[in-house]
Formats: sequence, structure tokens, C-alpha cells
Amino acid sequence: MKKAVIALLILSLVGTIAVFGFAAKKVTIAVIWSGKELDAFESALVPFENQTGIDVVVESVGRDLPTVLATRIAAGNPPDMAAMPNPGQMKEFANKGVLVPLDGLSNLADSAKAFVDLATVNDHVYGVFISADLKSLVWYDPKVFKSHGYTIPKSWPELIELCNKIVADGGTPWSIGLESGAASGWPGTDWIEDIMLRTAGPDLYDKWVNHEIPWTHPAVKKAFQYFGQIALNDKYVYGGTTGELLTNFGDAGNPLFTNPPGAYMMKQATFIQSFIKKSNPGLVAGEDYDVFVFPPISPVFGTPMLGAGDLISAFKDTPEVRALANYLASAQAQEIWCKALGKLAVNTKVDPSIYPDPVTAKAAQLLANASAFRFDGSDMMPAAVGAGTFWSGVLDYVSGIPLDTVLANIEASAKEAYGK
Amino acid sequence: MKLLKRIFPRTTLHAVIIGIALIWMLPTVGLLVTSFRLPQDVAHTGWWTVFSHPFNFTQYTLQNYETVITKNGMGRAFINSLIITVPATFFPVLLAAFAAYAFAWMKFPGRKTLFMVVVALLVIPLQMTFIPILRIFNWLHLSGTFPGIWLAHTSYGLPLTVYLLHNFIAGLPRDLFDSAAIDGASTMQTFFRLVIPLSVPAIASVVIFQFIWVWNDLLVALIYLGGFRSVAPLTLQVASLVGSRGQDWELLTAAAFVSMALPLFIFFSLQRYFVRGILAGSVKG
Repeated sequence: MKKAVIALLILSLVGTIAVFGFAAKKVTIAVIWSGKELDAFESALVPFENQTGIDVVVESVGRDLPTVLATRIAAGNPPDMAAMPNPGQMKEFANKGVLVPLDGLSNLADSAKAFVDLATVNDHVYGVFISADLKSLVWYDPKVFKSHGYTIPKSWPELIELCNKIVADGGTPWSIGLESGAASGWPGTDWIEDIMLRTAGPDLYDKWVNHEIPWTHPAVKKAFQYFGQIALNDKYVYGGTTGELLTNFGDAGNPLFTNPPGAYMMKQATFIQSFIKKSNPGLVAGEDYDVFVFPPISPVFGTPMLGAGDLISAFKDTPEVRALANYLASAQAQEIWCKALGKLAVNTKVDPSIYPDPVTAKAAQLLANASAFRFDGSDMMPAAVGAGTFWSGVLDYVSGIPLDTVLANIEASAKEAYGK
Repeated sequence: MKLLKRIFPRTTLHAVIIGIALIWMLPTVGLLVTSFRLPQDVAHTGWWTVFSHPFNFTQYTLQNYETVITKNGMGRAFINSLIITVPATFFPVLLAAFAAYAFAWMKFPGRKTLFMVVVALLVIPLQMTFIPILRIFNWLHLSGTFPGIWLAHTSYGLPLTVYLLHNFIAGLPRDLFDSAAIDGASTMQTFFRLVIPLSVPAIASVVIFQFIWVWNDLLVALIYLGGFRSVAPLTLQVASLVGSRGQDWELLTAAAFVSMALPLFIFFSLQRYFVRGILAGSVKG
């Protein structure tokens, strides 16, 4: 028995030395992705590994990424590179001095400027965006719209008019799904952010995200009220407010494709397409479903685009890390990654024909031509607000709690989280 | 009348127990049914709808299991889980048995205090220890290695296993040890010939506890081993089947059953000890 234990220990030690002792040029990268996304990321790395001979070891950490990164940084062995959960987190790490500045990567010159700016802290670039999602989209069934004589609304009054028309025809205009497990409420934050951009403009939006204006500010209140015009109206939403609170965001698209349709429109980001196709196999993009831009509200601010993106930063400064960061910013890497997942590339040299369907291509076009682009605000706020009280605030508002109470609650937590 | 009285309470009792068992099992049954359904059905209707026409076999599929089992890295992850779990169960139980015996029957100064300290360690949340221990592991080059995680799981498991085994071993009759001493048995002989065989029920239940805890662990493995495919256990591989937005969760249901298979087997093969072991040390005398 004793001998066996000793032999086992020696064997395992030898094994670990064999595995870790002779590592040649290698970069470790911790990512949040799993499943199909992980496969796509690994296939995007293959050309780099073949060209340079550098071995890229991908570590799929999943949703615990923030915890794992924080622990490993504190313990002194962070991975060489890591996907950042969001730009807010990147900024936090950069300010702590644990990230390596990536200024001067040649491929960054081809990246859309808005995304380079988003990854810039104190005039240094600390991250590389490899793709983006566009959030300011409304999904609908063009055939149904045509047969009912509905047209795409170009302004808020036209949108409300369309809603009333659908109600008069005996239908329900919207399908909204706010449920998302522990993250329930986030789909509503996208609504409020989009409305905020359209009613208050990008500058005030930035102030709101940075908590330079309080949550009780009239502009924030107005954004919630616009959202409430639709979300709190039981006639406008499939299943009423109860259905809205109980429907998973991934299932919210399904009523659009039943016959007769349970609902006619759903506001959601580009990534929802994979959910639609999975639950309703056989639908053809551009024919059975399509997108239009969430309409402008105030003519002054037009139609700014709201979105999110996938961001990678570096913890160690080696030539291999820089080479990989530069490769990830390249059109070559982003073409593989975006083609596989229907994400939108950030590198402007990416060939538009890579997009798997006309809907994704349309979204890419919209993003490229955006007059203004803003990152998902809830992702930029401190987690206690952006992934906490803002989410629950949306749920509270939809479940009927008075708006002033909801906003006062979020403001109380924001004061603590921002420390001002 | 008497007969009725005798029958009635038992049937009520049984009805209540069966009712509770059914409620308890409901989520697992739902998971099992879902794991055999097609992804698009999962998205549109609840799992209970299969019971409206249970013998329509076209609504079932093995596709989820096929994907999960043939999926790259699942076999490797199963082996990794075994490599982690077997030593991480064996070492703490062996060490705890030694320690429990010493705390219960050997006389040395500070015995009670030391035992209290070990038991007091139960209240320390293991999350608090991640950073300092990871630092030590980095210094010893143990992070990312199997011996590292064996050490971690062994030390995290020891307080509870020592406590449980101590309660059982302390309850063995003193006469046994006295007669063993008279017969000239050494401490080691007493331990291996008397204590171990007599403690089999308690040891079996501690083995089940520790095995299931290590087998189901995700966080400790993630921190000390990392998510690299060469070392990642089954829990990490299962978690990585699901997309980062929760899509593909029909795969999760199938993967959950695959990863449940071994713990269930261990539990059912040791469960007759388990019931005895839980009661172990609860009543003295």
C-alpha cells in the first residue's frame, strides 16, 4: 500500500514535469467562451499557430472568469492573456496596473475607431476587440408585416401607431423576455440604454454610465417611462407584464413565428439569431425573419447604435503575446471567428461576404455606418449596479413598483458602488 | 377498530413519504426527460408534455447523449476527474482515520485543544483561502498540477472527515483496546486490525461524502488546476458544453446524467453503510 502511494506520487511528479517542464514558445489565454464559441475561437487560432509555431493554450474558464482572474492576479500567476468580461472590468485592471499596454499594434489601425477608443484607458490601449454585437435591432417577420400591410416605423410616434394598429387588428405587437436565470432583467436594460441614447444623446449617456448624473435625473426617468409605454402595457406585450417577467430572453422570439403570430416584434441583439434558428429550424434569414433599427426618438440625436463586444487583454509582455494580440486584431482572425458565430467584425478590412446571411450582413453595415456607437452601459457600470440593481430595477419596474422608488433604490446602490 | 388503527397510520405515513419522495425527485425526472428530447421541442414546450402521448417514440432522441459522449475531450475529462477524485478521497480518509484514532484513544498533551482547532477549521469558508494557498502553490510550482489539487482537496476535506470518524471511533468500547493491549498489540496493530475493520461503516460514509464533494467540485479545480483541456475535470467540461449565453442547454441535461453515473454507482454500492455511518457516534453507550 505504502509503496503504491509513493510510486503514484513520483509518477505524477514526473508526469507534471514532462507536461510543464519542456514548454516551448507558448501563450496561455483564459476565455469566457464555451461550446460552439470556444470551438470557433480555437479554429481562429490555428493559422496563427501554423504561421508562427507559437503554441496557444486556451483555457475555458466560463462564467467564473472574473473570480478566477481576480484570484490569480492576487496570487501572482495570471494567464498570459485573457478575455475581459467587459470594458469596465478592463479599466479596473488597467488602473490597478496589472494589464500590459498594447499600443502600436499594426492591425489596430484597421480597427473601427470607436472600439479602439473603448479599449483605451489614460491614452493607452489595453485591449483588442475581436468582434461586436449590435443591440439596437428589432426582429420581425417580413412576410407577416407585408400580408398585414404593416410598415417599418421610422420614429417613436410611428412605432406607437403601429402598436395600436396591431392591437386594433386583434394582435399583440411585442414579445419581451426578461428572464435569464440569475441575470434576469438584463434584456430590459438594453431597452433603457437604447432609449436613453435616443432621448438624451450619447454625451448624457456617458455621464449616466459614469454616474455623473444620478439615477433620479429626469433624463433617466424619461427613458424608463418610454420603456414603460410599451413594457407596462398589457395589450402591447405577449402574455402581459407577467409573461414578460417569466419568459426567457432566448424563447422570446418564438411567438413571432407561430401561426397566427403570438407577437410581431422583438427587440434583441444580433446574437439572438442563433436562438431563433435553433428553436425554429427551417426559417430563412432575410425571408422569414429580418431586422430593422430601433427607431429614433429625438431628431437631435438620430439613431445612435448600442452594442457590446468581445475584448482581449494581456497580463504579460512577451513578443509572443504581442504577436497574438496583433493577430487577433487582424482581418484574418476576425473573418474565421465572425463567420463561425455570425458576430460582427471590428476590423474594417474584413470582407463583408463572410457574413453567413443577409441579416448579419445588414447588421454589420448598420454598425459600420453608425453616426455614434456606445457600449452596453450596464456592462460598463460597477457590477453592483450594472449586473445588480439595474437588472433588478427593471424587474421591479415591470412588476409594478412605482418608478421613483425603483430609481431611488438604484441610486442608493450606485452611490455606494461608485464611491461618490 | 384496532386493525384499522394499525393500518391507517402506516398507510398515511407511507403516502406522505412517497409524496415527499416524488416531489424531491421531480426536478431530476424533468432533467432526465429533457435530456431525451429534441432541442427545438425543449424550446417550445415543457418536458411534462411528453406524458400526453408517452409512447410516441419519435419525440425522444439519443442525439444529446451522442453529442455529449462523442464531444472532443469528454473521455479525457472523465479520466482527469478520476485522477483527481481517487487520491483526493483516499488520502484524506486515511489521514483522518489516523488522526481520529489518535484524538480518541492516544494520550498526549494538548489533545483536546488540537482537536478543537481541527474542528474549528470547519467554519472557515474555503473561498477565503484561495489567494494565500495559490501563492504558496505558485512558489512550490504546484499550481496547475494534480498533486497540488490532491493536497488542496485533502486539506479541505480533513476537518469534517476527522470529526465524523472521531465520533465513531471514540464510541468503540474501551474493553476492546484494553484486551488488545493485554494481548500485546502495538498501536499500529490495534489500528489496522481493530479500529479499521470496526469502522468500515463510518469510513464508507465518509468516502461517499468526500468522493461526491470532490467529483462535483468546479471552483477548487478551476482555481488550482485551471481550465486547460489536459487537466480539466468533468465538471468544467460539462460547464463548457453550454454556450456563454445559456444556449444548448439540452446538452447540459444529458451531460449532467453522464457525470452523475459514477457517483450514483458509488452511492448505491455503499449506501447500506451510509445509513449506519450517518448514525455513527450519534448515540453513545
